[in-house]
Amino acid sequence: MRKPLPPRQDALWWWRHPAYRRYMLREATALPLFLYALCLLYGVRELGRGETAFQAWLAFMESPPLIALQAVALLAVLWHAWTWFQLVPKILVIPTRHGTLPGHWLRLAHVVPAALCWLLLPLLAWWALGQFAGGGA
Amino acid sequence: MTRSLPRRSQEPVAWSLFGAGGMLLAFLGPALVLITLLVLPALLADDVAAGHAAVLAALRHPLGALLAFAGLSLTFFHTLHRLCHGLHDLHVPLSARLVGWVGYGTATLLSLLAGVWLLGL
Repeated sequence: MRKPLPPRQDALWWWRHPAYRRYMLREATALPLFLYALCLLYGVRELGRGETAFQAWLAFMESPPLIALQAVALLAVLWHAWTWFQLVPKILVIPTRHGTLPGHWLRLAHVVPAALCWLLLPLLAWWALGQFAGGGA
Repeated sequence: MTRSLPRRSQEPVAWSLFGAGGMLLAFLGPALVLITLLVLPALLADDVAAGHAAVLAALRHPLGALLAFAGLSLTFFHTLHRLCHGLHDLHVPLSARLVGWVGYGTATLLSLLAGVWLLGL
């Protein structure tokens, strides 16, 4: 008789090791980001329906559950970005005369411009919207 | 013995969209959330009309519309790719093909909606 198959890996396998838990946390960042993107898509529709609808969407985005979702989405997207840039050297291998470009350089070349984007784009949006909203708020 | 041709995998396409979405999110995501969380409420509280006009103008501009479409669509493909693979990781007993069709189908539909609504602005 053939030996029976060994039991399948159970559904909680990822809980057993810190590295697996970090992996699952990284994959889980997709859920709040998906919901957040749905909210933005909804915002695009409301924007096209006029000022009152847009105002209602703004109020919706400022309701406590949506504030919480956005706070979670912010943490999620930062964790996503951090883990994403950690993976860059595994995918992007740039040959040089003496081998390949070191991974920490590649990571730095992504993290630094990204951090600048995270800081400068909100400031830019603040400034641009302020221009529109009558000389700054 | 006849051997059927290997099925062409959709994985490279799915992975390209996933990768593009991941890169875009890593660079622009935190800024975008900060904008909707802090900048929009702070600036538009007293003058919604001007804010509506400003956001409308930004998204009516071809470049703004393109960026918004790419941002939404690639985010949908990125997140749904991860969520579909997450179902597999959690041993949810659904066939990978079904999950793939539903996941990428949803991302495609949501992208179409984004395109239609952005063009209709």
